[in-house]
Amino acid sequence: MLEIKDLVTEYGSVKALNGISLVAHEGKITTVIGANGAGKSTLLRTISALEHPRSGSITWKNKSIVGLSPEKIVRLGIAHVPEGHAVISQLSVEENIEMGALFRMRSNKADVRLAIQEIYQLFPRLEERKKQLAGSLSGGERQMLAISRALVSRPSLLLLDEPSLGLAPLVVEQIIQTVNDLCRNTGLTVLLVEQNANTALGVADHGILLSLGTVAADLPAAQMKADVALRAAYLGY
Amino acid sequence: MSKASSYGRKNLVISILFTALVFFLSIKLDPYNQGQLSVALMFFIGILSIVLLTGASGQISLGQGALMAVGGFAAALGILNLGLSIWFAIALAVFAALLAGLLLGIAAARLSGPYLAGTTLVIALAIPSLATRFESVFGGDVGLTIDFGNPPAWLTSLMGEVGYEQWQLLATLPFATLALFFTSNILNSRTGRSWRALRDNEVAASLAGMKISETKIFVFVISSGFAGLAGVLYGLRGIVGPSVYPISLSLLLLTGAVLGGIRSILGALIGALLVVFLPDLIEWASGSFSPSEQIANYLPAMISSILLILTVVLNPGGIAHGLHHKKSHH
Amino acid sequence: MDIFLSAIFAGTSRGAIYALAALGLVLVWRGAGVVNFAQMGQAMFSTYIASTLIAQNYSYWVAFVVALVSGGLLGALVDLLVMRPLNRKRSSSALDSPAMRSTIPVIASLGILGVLQAAAGMIWAAEERGFPTPVNSLGLVINGKIMPFTAFDLFVIGIVFVTLVATTYFFKGTGMGLAMRASALNPEVARLSGIRIGFVRTLSWVISGVASSLAGLLVTPSANLSPYTLDLILIIGFTAAVVGGLDSLLGSVIGGFALGLLVSFVNVYDAPEDIFLAILIVLLTVLIIRPQGILGSKEVRRV
Repeated sequence: MLEIKDLVTEYGSVKALNGISLVAHEGKITTVIGANGAGKSTLLRTISALEHPRSGSITWKNKSIVGLSPEKIVRLGIAHVPEGHAVISQLSVEENIEMGALFRMRSNKADVRLAIQEIYQLFPRLEERKKQLAGSLSGGERQMLAISRALVSRPSLLLLDEPSLGLAPLVVEQIIQTVNDLCRNTGLTVLLVEQNANTALGVADHGILLSLGTVAADLPAAQMKADVALRAAYLGY
Repeated sequence: MSKASSYGRKNLVISILFTALVFFLSIKLDPYNQGQLSVALMFFIGILSIVLLTGASGQISLGQGALMAVGGFAAALGILNLGLSIWFAIALAVFAALLAGLLLGIAAARLSGPYLAGTTLVIALAIPSLATRFESVFGGDVGLTIDFGNPPAWLTSLMGEVGYEQWQLLATLPFATLALFFTSNILNSRTGRSWRALRDNEVAASLAGMKISETKIFVFVISSGFAGLAGVLYGLRGIVGPSVYPISLSLLLLTGAVLGGIRSILGALIGALLVVFLPDLIEWASGSFSPSEQIANYLPAMISSILLILTVVLNPGGIAHGLHHKKSHH
Repeated sequence: MDIFLSAIFAGTSRGAIYALAALGLVLVWRGAGVVNFAQMGQAMFSTYIASTLIAQNYSYWVAFVVALVSGGLLGALVDLLVMRPLNRKRSSSALDSPAMRSTIPVIASLGILGVLQAAAGMIWAAEERGFPTPVNSLGLVINGKIMPFTAFDLFVIGIVFVTLVATTYFFKGTGMGLAMRASALNPEVARLSGIRIGFVRTLSWVISGVASSLAGLLVTPSANLSPYTLDLILIIGFTAAVVGGLDSLLGSVIGGFALGLLVSFVNVYDAPEDIFLAILIVLLTVLIIRPQGILGSKEVRRV
């Protein structure tokens, strides 16, 4: 279980997160929705230690992870797929995937091979293009690659930042469905940040609505999806 | 509108105070320090060219010494071949440097960061080597001899005896004041703001309709004019030649600019004084230790290099930034 | 014909040195995203150490190994003492803008160059020293004429190719090489993948330090040692690296040999004074016509 209490993160004097508390249960999809600038990305970046919180606590499996480096956090089984199809476009598809497993290559080479095989089964298109540079892929393929890079580390918690950004609805559907299957079949815990509330709440177990760096609502996903007044007030539709 | 004119008035007052202070010092100092101060003023102009280029618009140049050489050689040729007075020669030098800056800017506008640094470094080596290539025109390794000449009669009748170093300082002063006035006006103008926009975010500036290449070239031209002016004054001390404008001169100016504060006019002045007087200061401070000659020779270079590293790591805004910072907090 | 041949030979042996210098620059660029203008200062310093050992009657090879090790150590020191604090500072600094981000490490590396040169001057004085070669340096004889090409030159060229093959394999064929490329290209994604970018960067400074002290050791027999002699190699090495493509190891070697031949032909057929002008023209031509260099990839010029 990921548990966050009273988390505050500042950029200069601006409080991007102003006292956030939430829980993401194991084996479930928790989605964080909210308008632009609500602090969704900052939340994920603080969990994976790309930003340092001002105060508050983050515990994963009952251990505090505040103050660890991003490299260390990956080793605890937390994988972050940042916003914007974050792959390294000058490296090949194969290299991008391999990169995510470098840290455990020496200790468990056989399992890394297996993990890469599983990824190619999940996204056959990536195997077809494994020798191509990541920069030559389409937006959807790049997002798949970014997720693969995270999955190859065999995480138990996946932080997914706006996977739908700039993608066609059909591709979004496919990616979200893949994440959903992973969660249901392997017990992966997912914290999914989305601006596209309908899609995210459609697959999630739980919904958290952020507004201006605070939690505005914390409800089961189905209930949040049905709450028209709430969505009108915070998301404008 | 009123804000702009209040800036203008403030700049005018500062420039007058600056002139009065240096004039006062020119009477009080001994000849050696008059000479040193005049070199500091020349470096001040040279460092202003870096403040405009690197500080305001974000382009680095390790080749300002080459542009100084262009100014120096243009003036020397004007004086020796056309019989120009030093004042016309100075104007010619600035014009030549502006032209060289235009060429350099056209080549450099598409470069940035390490590419620009390396290319300007090669330029700093290539331009002075032209002097040895065309020995009959530029005087080869030795160079061409020019100087400030004798102080004019009206000055001696006004001030009594005026020594060479004092005249060198007094002749440099109006140009330093002019450079100071011009720089502070341009940095506070629309033009200066557009340069800073370019530096802070090139993509946003171009989306806002700025013509990126043309702006960069324009900054290069203006900055080169300053470097050319500094170069001719530096050469008028006696010789214009490749040994007067070595690559270490370019690096010395950059060091001064960074130490003083690469975004500040006050920083440029502090930096210029620092690099010129540092050797004297070290000699004075280490007097009681009396280090061996071998160590003493390299001490100024060692200390200024260490200061350079410490500045970029600990306080990239330089001394002037620290001063402003304090002021705004108290 | 003899003149032409001798120009070719001289150019090839010079080119090998430039290639090594360029390789050193490319290694740090690919591993840490910095063009290191202090590189040949580091090389000069470790060559002085070797020269001191040789003067005290240690064998050439002992001095050779000590110089490479100290070159690597110097590289690590530069990273740990200057570049790493700089990286930490840059994200919160008052001068933070893309233009300044790529400019500040350049200024820092010039400061390091200044420190190394002054330190060498203080320790070893400015006296120029000769430096021995490990194999004989008598000219090759063709048609009864002595050519400016020796067994030592062959040795140098051999070392260049070994270095090229070894570093290329390292980058393309090993996990650490992949980690290094990833950290230079996109530090954030690299860290999120679990790569210890601090360690990886220091390692690239070490490798580049070794490569450049190799260049220092091999060039010094023909150029005498002083705190400032290797500056020239840096400038030509930089041009070679840009000509080849700043991110390509093979490109930098090709660039190095091309520059060697250029310098040699200008020397023989024109005049030594024109060397820098010729280099400037080549550099500007490449940057204008093909800014990514002969073998560089287009996207590398992201600065």
